[in-house]
Amino acid sequence: MVWGTAYKDEGGEPEVSGMSLAERISETLSGLVDEHLVKVRETNWLMVKIAGGEVSVIQSWRKSIVDIYVAKDARIGMLSFEATGVEDAVKRIPSLLSVLKPSPFYAPLPEPTGKPLSSTDEKIIEIVRSGEVADRLGELGVDELGNAAGKIDFAYRETRLIGSSGVDLGYRSTSFNGYMRVFREGRSGQWSWTSTKYDAGLARRALEKAVELAEECAKLPRERVEPGRYRVLISPMVAGNLIGDLVGAASAGMLIFGMSFLQGRKPGERVLSPRLTVIDKPLDTSLPGFSGFDDEGVATSNKPIFEEGVFKGFLHNSKTAKLLKAETTGNAGWIMPRPFNLEVAEGDMKPGEMMEMLGDGLYLTNNWYTRFQNYLEGRFSTVSRDAAFVVKGGKPKACVERVRIADLMPRLFSSVEAVGSDPWQIEWWEVRTPTRIPHILLGEAGITLPS
Amino acid sequence: MPDPLLLQGLVDEALKLGASYAEARFHRLSSLQAIMINGAVIGAGEDVSEGVAVRVLLEGGMGFSATTDLSGEALREAVRRAVASARSAASYMKRPIRMGPGRLGRAKYSVEPKKPFQDVSLDAKLADLKDMYSGLELSRNGFKISNVTINYSETVEEKIIVNSDGAFVESMVPRLTVFYNMSASTGDRSANRWNQIGGSGGYELVRELRVGEQMKDDVESLYVNLVKAGSPPKGRMDVVLGPEIVALAMHESAGHPSEADRILGREAAQAGMSFRATYKDDVIGSEHATVIDDPTIPGSSGFYLYDDEGVAAGPRILYDKGRLAGMLHNRETAAVYGVESNAAARAMNYASEPIVRMANTYMAPGTYSFEELVEDVREGVYIKKYMEWNIDDIRWGQRYVGLEAYLIRNGRIGEPVRNIALEVTTKEFYSSIDAVGKDLVFYAGTCGKGEPPQGVPVWFGGPHIRMREVNLR
Repeated sequence: MVWGTAYKDEGGEPEVSGMSLAERISETLSGLVDEHLVKVRETNWLMVKIAGGEVSVIQSWRKSIVDIYVAKDARIGMLSFEATGVEDAVKRIPSLLSVLKPSPFYAPLPEPTGKPLSSTDEKIIEIVRSGEVADRLGELGVDELGNAAGKIDFAYRETRLIGSSGVDLGYRSTSFNGYMRVFREGRSGQWSWTSTKYDAGLARRALEKAVELAEECAKLPRERVEPGRYRVLISPMVAGNLIGDLVGAASAGMLIFGMSFLQGRKPGERVLSPRLTVIDKPLDTSLPGFSGFDDEGVATSNKPIFEEGVFKGFLHNSKTAKLLKAETTGNAGWIMPRPFNLEVAEGDMKPGEMMEMLGDGLYLTNNWYTRFQNYLEGRFSTVSRDAAFVVKGGKPKACVERVRIADLMPRLFSSVEAVGSDPWQIEWWEVRTPTRIPHILLGEAGITLPS
Repeated sequence: MPDPLLLQGLVDEALKLGASYAEARFHRLSSLQAIMINGAVIGAGEDVSEGVAVRVLLEGGMGFSATTDLSGEALREAVRRAVASARSAASYMKRPIRMGPGRLGRAKYSVEPKKPFQDVSLDAKLADLKDMYSGLELSRNGFKISNVTINYSETVEEKIIVNSDGAFVESMVPRLTVFYNMSASTGDRSANRWNQIGGSGGYELVRELRVGEQMKDDVESLYVNLVKAGSPPKGRMDVVLGPEIVALAMHESAGHPSEADRILGREAAQAGMSFRATYKDDVIGSEHATVIDDPTIPGSSGFYLYDDEGVAAGPRILYDKGRLAGMLHNRETAAVYGVESNAAARAMNYASEPIVRMANTYMAPGTYSFEELVEDVREGVYIKKYMEWNIDDIRWGQRYVGLEAYLIRNGRIGEPVRNIALEVTTKEFYSSIDAVGKDLVFYAGTCGKGEPPQGVPVWFGGPHIRMREVNLR
């Protein structure tokens, strides 16, 4: 359990820590409840935060998180412990369960079919172990960005899942991700990257993209646009945010909670543009969300959620599957099914060609604050930030500040006219699931802004 | 709770290792939660986060580390990592970080609930939730509520804060929060209502905050929206805005842009910046617009008496009669501006650095009754509740879409209208106010900021207000 013991002095392959704790808890639970799962995550994480071109703080964490699922007579309890003392808390479980009634969510734990899948990078492990980041910041050229703000993350995680279904799986992972907002003459550009490996080239390309957008916007005049319907090219940053919400509606949990605009849609039904294929890729070890098993120990699989615009089906755990008379898809969350990594299948158009195809319209490169007015219909709005361009005749002619897309999610993604051939690996504040995604050209989107 | 001397020892250790400033914070959040769908409990459980955070300054660089391992060796390792991080950061600093002045406290305080959580059985709590659900009228005239999800949460937050400038603050604040979502439909139309109700105190808040009554009222709002409401008007007209939207606007377009770290750009890549960084004028609204943030409001979700840097808290005026006034400061931003910290440093949990946050932000009430606000509107709209909102990253362009809204004709409330959108700039919002109600209602929220993201409990409040000639879509 003591993190430091996870490393061998000679820098060899670390051993998964948390083993003994998970086993002790599992053993205790065996006598108290019918079913249980114990998930232990040990995290060693280092984050460099940058503002005004300087390091505003370097943060590091050594965390042990223990999540416990229990069921007795179909009553469901859950504990989450980011603390010591979990073994005492476990003893309180019977009294917690005794006052509950059988849960309509209950389903027996599924057979553990998952396989361990690890992907680590020794360079990242060494960075988080030593805390030495100065050379890395130099290598990425952070000090040459000028006025910039963002963060750079290095993390090493060990995950163990053990339980009464016979599941006993563990894996190791590393991640290297970040984002940067670069300022030039009152304009800004922002971009992000994510990987399981320390890939300085990947990060530098993202930083260069942020600089390029800020500088391009700074060269152009400001222009105000009127509210209306526009052809809109969205960057991988914007597309990643919106596709994340689109896939959120494909979680059977969101359907059960009455918050999915895919309510009433059947697998096999076309709901989006045939140009759009969205894939959940848990087995892609190049993206940090990978895992060979879900939170119930079921094998994960790469699978389309929308294939050429056709809805392939909701993401399930064993509970939502039982409620909706389906099969688990290996996407547990204990309550809410979820994707692991997302990928939008790339198209065949380069960004320049997409700009030409856009003709007259808007090119939005970043957004935030996506909020749903109506989950059941998918009516939402989101606000652009950073570089946003007015495009005329296929060329950016002006920069426009902080417009909103206000539309229906299904309508927006039914209007896709082209998907780029330029996938980027994105993960940031507004894109929480690691996502590989290119530019997307929307045939029309509602645009609003204050008068 | 660990011995405070242990934390003092960590601070001393950091100073020995070269830090010019050091703080150690023990931070524990323990909560009980239950989720109910359509009257059936689907599960219940406990969440506990507990650990120690160490933050230091060394040669102007800042380092932070946190650990769940409370063993002496792990804590000393956390100190070493924080110091090493600060040293690394210092090599990249052109403007060294300093801690500005603040009224540091040596104090112990707690919120004493009228009905401690442990005095009410989980069984009784779940029965209360079930009663609330059972009290809802779920179906009539083709209108149907198909889903009611209720999330009950009670949390006790305990902290000990020690720093090298002499602060020592120990605190305990219990909080209750109820979230719910309702999905309703009629024919081919549907709508959601999501709400958060909460405060600091004990189980008595379920009654005092009228959770069950608010749920019933929200069912009525959905019914009005889906069954009774007609098409909304568009264009410029007078608007009477209900406290729920005013309260949210105070948080979004007065509180956030007044956070000094945001103005300085420290959150530029995350929660964004502030129009106040480049705003040339100091007039932001009419003389009726006064906005205050006050952590010391008893019973509030954002309640505290000392912030997470140990500075004594009090009310802060952000907009004063239409003029930009104070900012929200921690000690870092106070040093930059040459002022005293006004105790806005908050950390979500042990794993979070203290950053500038709001607590309870509200518009000062005026003298008008609701009837007086409405009677002077010839043609306009009363927007009572919202269902969608957002604001841009400098807190200038904001949008609120009404869940429940009514036409106003010749000084009287008329027919309901559906999904009306108010989309205005911050200057337009505050400048258009010509009268402010004498009522003041607070709402609970969870405010997001920082990296890793930190959600902290807040209240926001407001009276009814009247706005002249604003743009509706």
